[in-house]
Amino acid sequence: MTEAEAGRTDRRSASPGGGGIRFEDVTVAYNGTVVLDSFSLEVAPGEVVALLGPSGSGKTTALRAVAGFVRPASGRVYAGGRDVTDLPPYKRGLGMVVQQYALFPHMRVEQNVAFGLKAQKVAKAQIPGRVAEALRMTGMSPFAQRYPRELSGGQQQRVAIARALAIQPSVLLLDEPLSALDAQLRSGMLAELARLHRELPDVSILYVTHDQIEALTLADRIAVMNDARLVEVGTARELYKRPGTEFAAGFVGNSNLLPVTVAECAPHADGSFRAAVRIGTQSQPVAATSAEAVAAGEARTLCLRPHLLELAAAEHHDNAFQARVTEVQWRGSSHRVFAEVHGHEVRLDANELRNPPGIGETVWFHFSAQDAVLIPGSGAALAEGGAR
Amino acid sequence: MSAVTELPPATPTAPGGRSGPAAANKARFSTAWLWSTPPILLLAAAFLYPLYLVVKQAIEGSPPDPANPFKVTTSFSDTLKDPGTRTVVKNTIEMAVYSTAGCLVLGFLLALIIAFVPFPGARAVSRFVDVFLSFPSFLITVSIMFLYGRVGMVNHIASSLTGGKHDTPIDFIEYSPWGIWLAELIYFTPFVMRPLLTAFSQLDSGQLEVAASLGARPGRVIRQVILPEALPALFAGGSLVLMLTMNEYGIVSFTGAKYQTLPVLIENFAKEQTNYAGACALAVINVVLSLALFAGYRVLLARMSGGRRAAVHA
Amino acid sequence: MLLYTRRAQRIAWAVFGFFFLLLFVLPFGILVLAAFTRQWNGAFPSSYTFSNITAAFHKDPLDGLETSLITAFVSSVIALAVGTWAALALDAMRNRGGKALIQTVFMLPIAVPSVVVGLALLVAFSQGPVLLNGTSTIVVMAHCILVTAYAFQQLSAAITRLDPAYEQAAASLGARPYYSLLRVKLPLLLPALTGSLALCFALSMGELGATAMVYTSHWTTLPLRIYALDDRGHQFVAAAVTAVMMTITLAVLLAISKIRTRANFR
Repeated sequence: MTEAEAGRTDRRSASPGGGGIRFEDVTVAYNGTVVLDSFSLEVAPGEVVALLGPSGSGKTTALRAVAGFVRPASGRVYAGGRDVTDLPPYKRGLGMVVQQYALFPHMRVEQNVAFGLKAQKVAKAQIPGRVAEALRMTGMSPFAQRYPRELSGGQQQRVAIARALAIQPSVLLLDEPLSALDAQLRSGMLAELARLHRELPDVSILYVTHDQIEALTLADRIAVMNDARLVEVGTARELYKRPGTEFAAGFVGNSNLLPVTVAECAPHADGSFRAAVRIGTQSQPVAATSAEAVAAGEARTLCLRPHLLELAAAEHHDNAFQARVTEVQWRGSSHRVFAEVHGHEVRLDANELRNPPGIGETVWFHFSAQDAVLIPGSGAALAEGGAR
Repeated sequence: MSAVTELPPATPTAPGGRSGPAAANKARFSTAWLWSTPPILLLAAAFLYPLYLVVKQAIEGSPPDPANPFKVTTSFSDTLKDPGTRTVVKNTIEMAVYSTAGCLVLGFLLALIIAFVPFPGARAVSRFVDVFLSFPSFLITVSIMFLYGRVGMVNHIASSLTGGKHDTPIDFIEYSPWGIWLAELIYFTPFVMRPLLTAFSQLDSGQLEVAASLGARPGRVIRQVILPEALPALFAGGSLVLMLTMNEYGIVSFTGAKYQTLPVLIENFAKEQTNYAGACALAVINVVLSLALFAGYRVLLARMSGGRRAAVHA
Repeated sequence: MLLYTRRAQRIAWAVFGFFFLLLFVLPFGILVLAAFTRQWNGAFPSSYTFSNITAAFHKDPLDGLETSLITAFVSSVIALAVGTWAALALDAMRNRGGKALIQTVFMLPIAVPSVVVGLALLVAFSQGPVLLNGTSTIVVMAHCILVTAYAFQQLSAAITRLDPAYEQAAASLGARPYYSLLRVKLPLLLPALTGSLALCFALSMGELGATAMVYTSHWTTLPLRIYALDDRGHQFVAAAVTAVMMTITLAVLLAISKIRTRANFR
């Protein structure tokens, strides 16, 4: 066991509860505008939770409330096993990485990484070892003597992470850490972050992003936010496969949202319910999955993922609905077909089609019942934007 | 009117009555006040209190002294009523307004060329402008005397051209306000150019190119694209120069012209006539004039930087 | 970017060159020329000499130079300290009234004529418990008051431009406010600090209005000596002393600008 690891273990055992983050009914307001509305969420020790939402949804405010740069008007914030609501930022001991990195331009990489240790008056003898360890983990050891301006964006990113890790925090706060990088570097850094978390399995990570791919790739759980509120929280898989709200369905992955009327509903073998629903006035009902029992005649929204729709032959259209093609896009390896059904646009993504339909043609869209999810709500709000 | 709201309250109000988790906030507020106190006290003792005494003496005037029958006795109203004072106040305002107008026109023109008609050495020129700001103002007067003075270079050339008919074809430096105006124009133009150059450097040159590609001639581009962007900087630079020219002492006193402005008269009253009450009265007038301008300047500055700050934090 | 024809560009440059040379370059040239002039009866000096320059380093002018350098150095260092302090206090202040108070108090000396600053000191310290009239202290004090305002203005502008992310990053790494002030904020402000030190020094070197009010015979700064020389008809010596003063000021500014650090390379 290295010295650094020993230090980390000590720290961990010293704080009962062993880290993690907990928001208890946190509300933040600026000049009367509520930017975070009674937000409650728990991040377990060692867990990665992504706060996913559009800009202005309150996700960065939530992160900054943990870091201590935003004071809640009400509610409590716990981090690293203690109530930090009234602690100044410098007493919280959390690692933070922001979008533009904020590396100190007048310090070498090494000095940047050592900054937190010196500020916290860590014994001088320990500092070089811990700096070297943080630089090794992020692969930045060869650049220790450089200044930030001499590094590329991706390297600066690594230094920012190394600097946050050097103080051995039990909680790491990442605020859109990859948004300043170009697409190619971003996917590389994403893999890097996943590897870092495997190397530091005890560190809780709160990851703020507006990018669903980052959230799906990295997070154990995703908390979807909108309009200063928590919309839905669940594992990445749950949210993707069984979204409980139209907003989550539209924001986590792509989806077609169609208003439907339930014809009948029965329990299914896997514990969920199977419902027969009618899309508009189509004569033939289709089967979909519901998390709860729904009475016949009730309105629901049907969520269909574009890549799980299939074009069906006219003579064989089990569990399918009819739609009129409005646009066909050829995208090299794939086709994207837009079609209209009862005034709503439906999108289909498929591998390159041998015989793509023509515009104006009427086609059958087939799907399997387990891939179609019923969501409460009328579907009107997102019917247009959801599929884009 | 927002000038009034910009001014601080007479006594610092305690930061109480805040909602939310006030305890920690309050502690932060009080340390902020604690930190601000020493520099404010220092300046208050060295500057604000003496300034208060000036106002006090101006209002009280100097009563006759039985022990010293030669002592000048003046009251505020005497000084105000004196036609000489009125002329000097008029001179001060006129000179400031004309100089500022000249600086704005020349400064805008020169900054425009530096920023948008780039030439090799444009950077060096703008560095020169920066250095120029750190030179004393009287230096300009000294050197334009050699140029345009009665026995200056230009006069010699002009009189040799006219065949010696006139001894001094150009004699505006010593005998008219034009010498002061010229010196102030030269000295204060860079004060207008600097904020303008900053504003121009932030202007997206794509805008100009798009405007030109849409068929706008340079005149229209200047009026409709550049000028609106430069307006805040022009206002800021202009009001600063208006204030500085109103307070200018070096240029006017070095010219030695018959043309007097308030600062020169104040010095004259205090140092040569030992008429302190009169000097204080003039000082109050001068301060009121330039404070009015200063308030305008601060409001403009706050509006400009406030806008930019808000944009950054959005 | 604005003019696309060669001809229009040439005209613009010609206009610029005309005004720039006539108004900004020519005065300097003439001043330097006059500094080396013995006699000037025609359009150009008829004979040249070095004696004006050597005179600038003798007796009165030399004494004035020393006085000016000491005054400028002491007052700009004090002004930088007080101005920086006030600018930092302004930044820490959250109360709007408090902010306005600090800003108004520290910007006021820019708005008040320098002659009035001198007069105020004269009125306040010629009587009462603290007698400073006729001392070098009152001269330094006048300079301090005038240049502190500029130091404050420059520093608070620089602090406003400073990205708060640096301080927040420092705080998140456990740096207390004073530690982050010392290790992060002040180093990042170093270019602004040296810049305003240079500005204060230059302004103090050239200060005339307030000094004219409070100077004494044993503490007479160089601009006042130049004024006296000019007044007594020694124009060429005055020009020489002015040129020497300009050169020395520039040399000091250059030296200060060499105190460049890593923060400059952002």
